Amino acid sequence: MISEMNFLERIGYILSKYGTSYLKGAGTTLVIALVSTFIGCIIGFLVGIVQTIPVDKTKGSRNRDPLAKRILLIIVNAILKAYVEIFRGTPMIVQAVFIYYGLSQLFGVQLGMWQAAFLVVSINTGAYMAESVRGGIISVDPGQMEGAKAIGMTHFQAMINVILPQAFRNILPQIGNNLIINIKDTSVLSVISIVDLFFVHKSVSGALYTYFESATIVMVIYLTMTLITSKLLRLWESKMDGSENYELVDMMDIGTQLGSKQRKA
Amino acid sequence: MDTNQVILEVSHLEKSFGTHSVLKDIDFKVKQGDVVSVIGASGSGKSTMLRCINLLEIPTGGSILYHGKDITDPKVNVPAYREKVGMVFQNFNLFNNLTVLENCMVGQIKVAKKSKEEAKKRALQFLEKVDMTAYINAKPRQISGGQKQRVAIARALAMDPEILLFDEPTSALDPQMVGEVLSVMRTLAREGLTMIVVTHEMAFARDISSHVIFMADGLIVEEGTAKQIFENPAKQETREFLSRFRNE
Repeated sequence: MISEMNFLERIGYILSKYGTSYLKGAGTTLVIALVSTFIGCIIGFLVGIVQTIPVDKTKGSRNRDPLAKRILLIIVNAILKAYVEIFRGTPMIVQAVFIYYGLSQLFGVQLGMWQAAFLVVSINTGAYMAESVRGGIISVDPGQMEGAKAIGMTHFQAMINVILPQAFRNILPQIGNNLIINIKDTSVLSVISIVDLFFVHKSVSGALYTYFESATIVMVIYLTMTLITSKLLRLWESKMDGSENYELVDMMDIGTQLGSKQRKA
Repeated sequence: MDTNQVILEVSHLEKSFGTHSVLKDIDFKVKQGDVVSVIGASGSGKSTMLRCINLLEIPTGGSILYHGKDITDPKVNVPAYREKVGMVFQNFNLFNNLTVLENCMVGQIKVAKKSKEEAKKRALQFLEKVDMTAYINAKPRQISGGQKQRVAIARALAMDPEILLFDEPTSALDPQMVGEVLSVMRTLAREGLTMIVVTHEMAFARDISSHVIFMADGLIVEEGTAKQIFENPAKQETREFLSRFRNE
């Protein structure tokens, strides 16, 4: 009977029968993308911060860093560099299989669906974000670090209070990009049987032989998710930039502000 | 307080970048309440010397004694030292992610561990001194160069420094903004703040300095009171340098 329907009727039929499965799949996709992008950003920031720790290795310099610190940083940086290169240089679909089956075969660790998804996508995103964060930190005017040091901040205080907030704003478009890529690329996780939107599509089209119709539905859902995400990210960006205007402040107001606060205290 | 107390003593200071020697053998002392102006042609090493004093550049030789303690010793707590020796930059270096008020508070809170309330009170006090209270909610990109520099001075003052270093504070400013910054600096000098000022503003150096250092090619050519240097320079090089400004 489905063979007697026209295109739109078939889409209607699929939606009435499997609509909730598609929505659940889309929800799974979105959750994996959001959580993994978030964790990936944290990984990226940690890696980027470590990679930009300044080292004085000038021979004869009185402020040359101790040997132990230099060696430790060289080793840590080598590991981080390898991590970035490996996970940027291989397809996520292969990484998924490698990690999922590798963990179970070598270490006997059987990951659940969510754990596997978060692990693979976070590690992959972290590798990309590490480079973006490093670039974002380097692109902040060196005068900002000098200004912070001149009032007595340590390297890390300057990082937290001055450099990273600016680097974060600089790379926000990159983070958004990664989120959108992740929404789409979680589709490869179906190879390790994660029931995301693409997995639902494969199941439905396999059961009903309606590849084109199901793909149309899935296309629309993916596009809706990415369009909304990109719109929300733009809003976030302009919110971070703040208003172009500012209020001039009357000294009298400050006086009363301070006064009232002191009275409370 | 003993006004003749030596705070800073620079001796045999050297700085080279690779084989290029920028500072060759610099000696001078700064006493409590001194206003020391450092003049000289571009490339003479004035700014590098000032940056060495704040350890933004690490000297390659010599010593810098701060209250008798050599701060080029690697064991010295550099951030704690910098808290006492503030710096005002040619390009302001205000924190772009913070408002004017926050710029003057963040160091007090994070470095000096003051409470938010106290930091705000002090920040407002110094912003009022530089006449910038109206702009406390503005971000650095929204105010003019002269305003930025005045905020940068307030930010440095809020840390309660013992010495304030000025690295060509008016060189990046339009002529009409130079005056507003210099007038703030004049006030500070009158109030007895110890200052080292690298500057191209000769009239300013002549008027406010207790001591003037003339540098050329990484060396101090001549130093003395403002009167000595500007009215009766001993060295030919100094006379030639100053004659270029006389005609203005």
